[in-house]
Amino acid sequence: MSTKLTKALEFANYRVTINNQKAALLAKTESLLSYSINGGSFTINVELLTFCKQLLDEKQKEVVLLDIYKNPIKVDLESFYDEISSRYYEVTNEYYLEYEKLRKARKVHKVLDLNEKGE
Amino acid sequence: MKRENSRGILMFAHNNSEIDYFRLAVVNALLVQVNLGIKNITVVTDPHSLKQGEKTLGKRLIKKAINNIVIIEKDKNFKQQNLRNFKDTSHTVKTLPFYNANRCDAYDISPYDETILIDVDYLILSDTLNHCWGHNNEIMMNWKYQDIMYERKDPSLDRLYDMGITMYWATVVYFKKSDQVETFFNCVKHVRNNPQFYKDLYKWQGTLYRNDYSFSIAAHMISGFEDKGLPQLPTTLYKSFDTDDIHSAVDKNTVIMYLEMPRSPGDFILTKWSNVDLHIMNKWAINRISEEMLDYVTETTATTN
Repeated sequence: MSTKLTKALEFANYRVTINNQKAALLAKTESLLSYSINGGSFTINVELLTFCKQLLDEKQKEVVLLDIYKNPIKVDLESFYDEISSRYYEVTNEYYLEYEKLRKARKVHKVLDLNEKGE
Repeated sequence: MKRENSRGILMFAHNNSEIDYFRLAVVNALLVQVNLGIKNITVVTDPHSLKQGEKTLGKRLIKKAINNIVIIEKDKNFKQQNLRNFKDTSHTVKTLPFYNANRCDAYDISPYDETILIDVDYLILSDTLNHCWGHNNEIMMNWKYQDIMYERKDPSLDRLYDMGITMYWATVVYFKKSDQVETFFNCVKHVRNNPQFYKDLYKWQGTLYRNDYSFSIAAHMISGFEDKGLPQLPTTLYKSFDTDDIHSAVDKNTVIMYLEMPRSPGDFILTKWSNVDLHIMNKWAINRISEEMLDYVTETTATTN
């Protein structure tokens, strides 16, 4: 096989690997952005954070929110907001760091943190 | 004083001539302890599988991993009739007995108020399942799944047959002890006991009895014959298939997988899978890395104890 073709195939393999690895990283991030309280489950996202902040600004104390199942869940707003916002910052920061590491990796073994022999 | 609800994990492990399910259960039980922080673990097995486990792993390790072993006798007729193709990647296919007849008894067997029933090959690599405890929903399981080789799609896994009901995965099931859940499991038992009737009615393909089918049918019936009537778990079900393999276990939360390319059978890419629970359908692959995994988890449990 010509060197050019070998290189092209190596690059194709690298592209597939890195795209899949990015998807795996996103799966981990989404999993960490799930939060359960008082028998309900929430996805921590910008919408939830913004809505809770708005309610806090309106001096609300205890509110009913609809969880991912559309069930009404009563929560103490201040502690709920503290928990979801700190989780959001923590998880997205970690996502950023790992994503940057992936972005800079130019070889399959570097994407996976392996040595050149694949060990 | 109100008694705190008991919570625990339940697994079924019945070996066949090639696959050591009991070994997988021990590895997974230790993963449950270190990643979920749960000590209440029940494993349902048979005398032969337990004996094999004691021989290869030792009674001490088994005791450390599992605090409640329930021993049952296998239904030999069922075992001989329920044969399935097991793959160790596309290169090796073997037809072996698949003993899954007693999973419908999970409700009766579980000693816990809240139970998470998992397959032994659903590796617990995170604490995500802790989101289930104390949930308002009495029973939850997934119909949606995500293949970790993202380009791969298999629409045949979405329904019992092309125009049939949605298929739920019995890989992970959360349930509480309640009348509704008891009725659900009675429906599952009815399907198990009358497979031909339900096969004609729901038209699942092939002759193999799968719990995914009986749980899906029970979910359909108990929801008033409504599709997708039972709520899903608050976590996504991630799967790799038996055409994939495991490269290595990196630590107690991470495995590196060989994933078969969708348009190039027999060719693989590597993926590092970390901190997210994963269903690994290639049982031989888990057995091959079980020693490494046992080292990581026993190290961690020794440090925390």
